[in-house]
Amino acid sequence: MNTLQLHKKICLLGTFGVGKTSLVRRFVYDKYDDEYKSTIGAKVSQKRLVPLENSRKELIQFNFLVWDIEGVEKATPQVNHYLLGAHGFLLIGDLTREETIGALPAISEFARKIAPGAPLVLAGNKADLAPDGSHTAAVLAEVADRLSAPYLLTSAKDGRNVEDCFTQLGLLIAE
Amino acid sequence: MKVLNLEHILTQNGFGFAYLSADLAVLSCNPLFRNFAARQGEVLAQPLPLLFPETFGLETVFEEIAAGTRPFFKLETLQRDLPDADECYIDIAVYPTSRAEAPLFCLIQNVTPKAQLTQQVYQQQNEIRLLESIVRAHQAHAALNIWGTSEPIRQIRQTIAKISRIPTATILLKGESGTGKSMVARIIHHAAMGKTAPFVEINCAAIPDTLLESELFGYEKGAFTNAVSSKTGLLEAADGGTLFLDEIGEMPHKLQAKLLSFLETRRFRRLGSTREQEVKIRLITATNRDLNLMVREGEFREDLFYRLNVVNIELPPLRQLGDDVLLIAGNLIQSFNINFQKRVQGFTPAARQKLRNHRWPGNVRELRNAIERAMIFVESDMIDAADLQLGSLQAQEPSASPLERFQLPPEGLSFDDIERKLLEEALALAEGNQSQAAKLLHLSRDTFRYRLEKFNLL
Ligand SMILES: Nc1nc2c(ncn2[C@@H]2O[C@H](COP(=O)(O)OP(=O)(O)O)[C@@H](O)[C@H]2O)c(=O)[nH]1
Ligand SMILES: [Mg+2]
Repeated sequence: MNTLQLHKKICLLGTFGVGKTSLVRRFVYDKYDDEYKSTIGAKVSQKRLVPLENSRKELIQFNFLVWDIEGVEKATPQVNHYLLGAHGFLLIGDLTREETIGALPAISEFARKIAPGAPLVLAGNKADLAPDGSHTAAVLAEVADRLSAPYLLTSAKDGRNVEDCFTQLGLLIAE
Repeated sequence: MKVLNLEHILTQNGFGFAYLSADLAVLSCNPLFRNFAARQGEVLAQPLPLLFPETFGLETVFEEIAAGTRPFFKLETLQRDLPDADECYIDIAVYPTSRAEAPLFCLIQNVTPKAQLTQQVYQQQNEIRLLESIVRAHQAHAALNIWGTSEPIRQIRQTIAKISRIPTATILLKGESGTGKSMVARIIHHAAMGKTAPFVEINCAAIPDTLLESELFGYEKGAFTNAVSSKTGLLEAADGGTLFLDEIGEMPHKLQAKLLSFLETRRFRRLGSTREQEVKIRLITATNRDLNLMVREGEFREDLFYRLNVVNIELPPLRQLGDDVLLIAGNLIQSFNINFQKRVQGFTPAARQKLRNHRWPGNVRELRNAIERAMIFVESDMIDAADLQLGSLQAQEPSASPLERFQLPPEGLSFDDIERKLLEEALALAEGNQSQAAKLLHLSRDTFRYRLEKFNLL
C-alpha cells in the first residue's frame, strides 16, 4: 500500500519561556540547551514524522512545517499572519508557572478564529521540574477538558512525550 | 526624465525579489532572492513555498492578491539559518502586479539589525521574569517537601487535591512539630484560592492570651486602655482567603468559645464594637497535641473540636517516610544551590546512610536545618556524612529507652506503687484487653492476672 506524503503547517503557541523553542529543538534536532534565548518573530523548521495510520487504514507520512512563534498571549495582526493556513496547533504551558496554563484558553480562541477546524494538542512542559500529580498538571487537565483537546506532560530537557505531542497532532490531522 | 528603475533600486538596497506565476512558480528573480531562499540550487520555476517554507499554506491568500481582493500580504521577522550568516531575520511580502503572466511580486527584506535590537530588549525583560519564576518554582518545590513517593505522602496529596476544590471546608492538620503543617496549609490555600486571596497565619502559642483575642477579632478605638486607635483583626484581614491558626490546642478556653460562635454564624464583632461583621474565610487549624485527649480532660471544647475536625489530615513524622528522606533532602540541595549559588551534586553513600538512620525528632524542619548547615560549610560537590551534624543540641537523645531515662529519686519510692501504676497504665493502653496489657509488660497472661488480683484491679 502507498504511503501518502503530506505537508502540514503546525504552530506552537504559548507565553514566553514555556519552552516552545526548546520543544522544537528537541523534536527536530534532538538537542537541548538550558540557556534561554528569547525568540522574536517566528522560525519555521521541518521534520518528517514516522508514517501513521488513520482510522480508514490509510498510511500517511507527514512532513511538518513547525512554526516556533515568539511568546504571545493575545492576537496581533503580525501573529494572525503567522497562523494563517495552519493545520494544527500545539498550545504549550509551563508546569512551573500556573499563569502560563491559565493563558491557554484565550490563545486557543484566537488560534481557532484564524484556522477553524485545525486540531489542538496541549502540552504541559518542564515536567522534569514538576512533581508527579502537581497542582499545575491538574489545572492543565482541566483546561484541556474545557477545550476538548488532548494534553501531555512534556519535557524538552529529558525528552519525555515530546515526539508524542507531534504524533498526537498528526493523528488528529490524519482524520 | 528617465523612468525610475525600481528593480535596480531594490537590489541596491539589499532586497531580494521575484516575479511569480499564478501558481507561485518563480519566473524571474534577482541574485539576492536566491541567497535568502532556504534551498540551494535552482530557483527558477520552483514554487515559492519550496524556497520559503514560511509561505506554505497561504495559497488562498495569494489567490486573493492576484485577484485584487487583497492589497498585499506580509510576514514579518522570520528567523532564518543561512549558511553564511549566524543569524538572519527577513520580512516576506507579496504584492500584485499588472502583468497577466506574472501576477505576483515577492519582496524579501533583510531586517536582521532591527530584529536583533528588539531581541536584546525582549531578552532582558523575559530573562528576569523567567529567572524569578524558576527560583519561585524551586522554592515551592523544596517547600513542598511533602512531595515524596511513599504511601502516606501520596495519600496526603490526594486529600489535598480533593479538598482544594471545596474552598470553604474547615481543615484540621495534625502532626508532630516540624512535619510541615504550616506548609501544607499554604499549599491548600494556593491550590484552592486565586492569586490575590489573602493567607493569614497566626501561632496561638506564640502570643499572650489577651493579645490573641484582639489580634484575631480586631478592636475599636478605646476598647481597652491601650487601644488608642482602631485595628483590623486577622479575621477581617483573611476575608476572601484562608486563616491559618497554628497550635490551636493552646487557645485559651474563653477564646475557644468566641471562635466557635464565629464558626457557627460566620459573624463577629471587633472588641469594643456593637457592629457585627461577616467574613468569608477558609479556616485551617493545626496542632501537635492530642485534641481528643484534651477534650476528654476538659481542656478543649468538644463542640469546637467537631467544628474544626471536619476534614483532618495527619502528617506523618519523617522517620515513617522511608527513603522519602533522601528525596526531600535532594530537593533541599537543589533549592539551597540556588540560594547559595553553589553546585552541590548530592550525598555520598555514607551521608545517605546517615540520613536514613537518623530518627528526625524535629522532622522536616530538622532535616532542612541540617542540609542548610551542611551546604554552608561543604567544600566539595558532595555532602559527606561528616558534613551532616545530626542530633546535636536539641535532638534530646530520642533513642534513649524509658528505662534509661528512669532514675530512682534520692528520697526513694514505693515499689508497690510503681508496680500498680505500671499495671494500670498497661491496661489503659490496651483499652482493657488483658492479653495485650500482659504483652506490654512482657508478662504471661497468668502472671499478669495474678498481679492484678494482688492489687485488687480485677
Ligand atoms: N527544566 C526544563 N527547562 C526547560 C524545558 N523546556 C525549556 N526549558 C528552559 O526554559 C527556558 C525557556 O525555554 P524556551 O524554549 O526558550 O521557551 P519559549 O520562550 O517558549 O521558546 C530555557 O532556559 C529552557 O532551557 C524543560 O522541559 N525542562
Ligand atoms: Mg522561543
